[in-house]
Amino acid sequence: MEIAPSKNNADKIVPARKSKNLKHTLQKDFKKNWFAYLLVIPVVAWYIIFCYGPMWGVMIAFKDFKPLLGFAESDWVGFKHFIDFFTGPYFWRVVKNTLLLNVWGIVFGFTAPIILALMLNEVRDGKFKKTVQTITYMPHFISLVVVAGIIHIFTADEGVITQILQLITGKEYTSLLGYSSFFRPIYTFSGIWQSIGWNSIIYLAAMSTIDPALYEAADIDGVGRVKKMWYITLPQIAPTIVILFIFAIGGLMASGHEKIILLYNPLTYDTADVIASYVYRRGLREASLSFSTAVGLFSAIINFGLLWVTNKVAKRTSEVSLW
Amino acid sequence: MEKFTKRMINLAVVSVLLITTVTACGGSSDKNASKDNSGNSSTNVTETNKSNETTFSDISADIRGNAAPSAEQIEQVNTTLNDTYLGDIFDTVIPNDYSAYPFKESVTLDVWLPANSDIPDQNAHGIQKMVEKMTGIKVNFITPPLGQEADSFTLMISSGDLPDIIIDPGRYPGGLEAGVNDGAYLDLTDLMEQHAPNYSAWRNSDETRRKTTVTDDGRLLGFYGIAPYSEWTWFGMLIKQEALDKTGMEVPNTIDEWYAFLKKCQEVGYKNPLNYGSNYGQIFTGILNGAYGVWDWTFMDGNGKVQWGPAQPKAKEYLTMMQQWNKEGLLNPDWATADFSQRMASAVSNDTAVMMDSPDTMWSYWKTQNDIDFVGALNPVLNAGDKSATTYKNFMRTGTAAAITTQADNVEAAMAWLDFAFSKKGWEVYNYGEYGKVHLIDENGKPYFHKESYIYNDPDGQPISVALNKYRRHSWANIRDEHNSNPNIVAEGSYSGDIREYWTENMDTSVAVPPITFTQEEASREAELGNQLSTLRGEYFAKIIKGELSVDSYDKFLNEAKKMGLDEFLSIHQAALDRYNSR
Repeated sequence: MEIAPSKNNADKIVPARKSKNLKHTLQKDFKKNWFAYLLVIPVVAWYIIFCYGPMWGVMIAFKDFKPLLGFAESDWVGFKHFIDFFTGPYFWRVVKNTLLLNVWGIVFGFTAPIILALMLNEVRDGKFKKTVQTITYMPHFISLVVVAGIIHIFTADEGVITQILQLITGKEYTSLLGYSSFFRPIYTFSGIWQSIGWNSIIYLAAMSTIDPALYEAADIDGVGRVKKMWYITLPQIAPTIVILFIFAIGGLMASGHEKIILLYNPLTYDTADVIASYVYRRGLREASLSFSTAVGLFSAIINFGLLWVTNKVAKRTSEVSLW
Repeated sequence: MEKFTKRMINLAVVSVLLITTVTACGGSSDKNASKDNSGNSSTNVTETNKSNETTFSDISADIRGNAAPSAEQIEQVNTTLNDTYLGDIFDTVIPNDYSAYPFKESVTLDVWLPANSDIPDQNAHGIQKMVEKMTGIKVNFITPPLGQEADSFTLMISSGDLPDIIIDPGRYPGGLEAGVNDGAYLDLTDLMEQHAPNYSAWRNSDETRRKTTVTDDGRLLGFYGIAPYSEWTWFGMLIKQEALDKTGMEVPNTIDEWYAFLKKCQEVGYKNPLNYGSNYGQIFTGILNGAYGVWDWTFMDGNGKVQWGPAQPKAKEYLTMMQQWNKEGLLNPDWATADFSQRMASAVSNDTAVMMDSPDTMWSYWKTQNDIDFVGALNPVLNAGDKSATTYKNFMRTGTAAAITTQADNVEAAMAWLDFAFSKKGWEVYNYGEYGKVHLIDENGKPYFHKESYIYNDPDGQPISVALNKYRRHSWANIRDEHNSNPNIVAEGSYSGDIREYWTENMDTSVAVPPITFTQEEASREAELGNQLSTLRGEYFAKIIKGELSVDSYDKFLNEAKKMGLDEFLSIHQAALDRYNSR
């Protein structure tokens, strides 16, 4: 997101002539911008302490970790936990469900905030715009358990959504959460409701930095609204979209178990059971730290691979990338 | 310069934010610690109970049947170990060896226990103040923040810094036994007789109690909550009295009678008469499926072999029946998805005639909140004359457990403190709370909650459900007297206890599997297979009942279960049961 501005800064700070002496340049830069360095210290410290520091612990995925014996004393078991997971009868199903749920999330959940932001950007009336924004932000602050409760009520036998669906299709439905074919739509679209406003903020912010001269020039040329949106707004926020898209792809194998567990039931296992919920059910019966670490590591590796590939593709095609 | 000030403010804001994030967790535990200390310093042990080493004077004439005890009498009961007024109301006499109290040295034990939302400060709990006076042992309770028990337990264990006693030690990955093997908890086998005379006497006073509190290889690892009796079963079929009146029918017993009854209920206006308990799984129970022998999970067959309910021969008959009931609208249509509040909403509506639930719960939702009377029905049977059965049986092991850690400084004191809960006086204190304010003693020496008791009239205005944790210990490693001291059961007019007793006395529990334990290797495999089988069973059964799959797809289910390792699963259970039987 901050790729473009930081590039500009770099140009300004580091003199155009390539430095012979890196140390010297750094010193000079530090003197000039010591405050910026000071500001970044807490963030760097946070990452080192909470993200990189605990990383070696991932090795318990290859051990039969017992907390009291500690890391050193626990037995090495190699890939046992991975094999357990891969050879389980539900392995393919949970992987498929995880991927599909996330694909749904990208197709619908990723595009929705962009569309909302584009529409809001066209609204000239400040009061109306603010009201819409506030209303769409609000669900973001509702606890997940409450959201699940609302979904349960709306999709119950006599729930609003069930009723509407019956009117449209003319078929009789019992509680919608009991149909496996409805799980993905319910999960995805309730997710959009939860996060659309919140996620549109970043696009609105990106749009506010677009040079008004571009629109003025377009106005003079007599360009209509839709075309302005298509040829000015979208290309201008494209870097933001691409970066967020790379992140989204990097989360394809990730899944939060809370909402799934609050919404699924045996009738919908075949579409709703994801890696996280499967591990959670197993974890309930046995606190197997090593097993969950192994599964987590597996997901993280796939995620990282996806992220890397997407980043590469993005770099080739649009010159926007994370690194 | 203005730029500089701005930057300074920015930096300050960022640092404050960061510091608060980092210290947020630490802060709460500090708070707890300081609370703990203040709780401790405010209560000084009174040194008045030295005289108790001699035999007590019999005060039963003063206390028994006394509805208005004097201040001195209250003082005497609440601060001394004199238990002469307590009657022997159970088949086995509760031991009363007080030779260890007051404890010879001054000690403070650190005790870890899970948080209870109803008790914000465990160190201020009235029961511990009484126990401290009687035993002379101080305790500092360490409670994790509510909802973070699992995390803080793991943290505590992995930090290697353990308190003296851990309540609910089964949280250790793999269970209590694994905790002993890994060196977290002490093996108390050789110490029990000497330092826990009451616990030893109590657990040895009954064969079931003895068996459920010892490991397969004969070790004694912790203090288990042990009941004086097998506690009543707590769930089953509950019928609204008005439904019986409207239909003019008797309480049904066989599956056919149930079908006729539910049909009739529909005729008189109950749209979906049977609320099929689902969030408890498919599966609350074995209430309906038990009639076909298709129990929810494992059970013991006539030859003492472990079997898996869903694989039993009459499963197809059961599923056919359920599919039909579901199709005809006898079950609530949202049975697979309804959460607790939806179930209770439907329970009080005019669509429902029968609930599958706990009479304690329905006492609250039906009777006290909506004045709907109800009766309990035995689990249905297939043929008239069959005896109703259930896989639920309480093997006298109840409440929670406690273990002493390998880092306990004073094992003897820790055992003495835990042992007190298994003495006669401990039975009174832990179950019935403070004498006078919370309970009185009847003519036979049995404690009871009188009408003005704090249990029913909390000065802070809190309901019984809170008071039952506030003025007594509801789930503890003690002699739990659920039937007589659970205020929900003994409250005036409550018949939920009667229903539970009726169920328990009239149902066959020979199919129930006792509390077996697995070895560490078994436990891991059992968890894996169990999870897979339960997923498979839940999915197939729910879909068949719902009509999404035909009853014939049951064959496919059985095949898959076998492929998953059903036989291995059963043999693990069988091995554990065999070991249990030879304890």
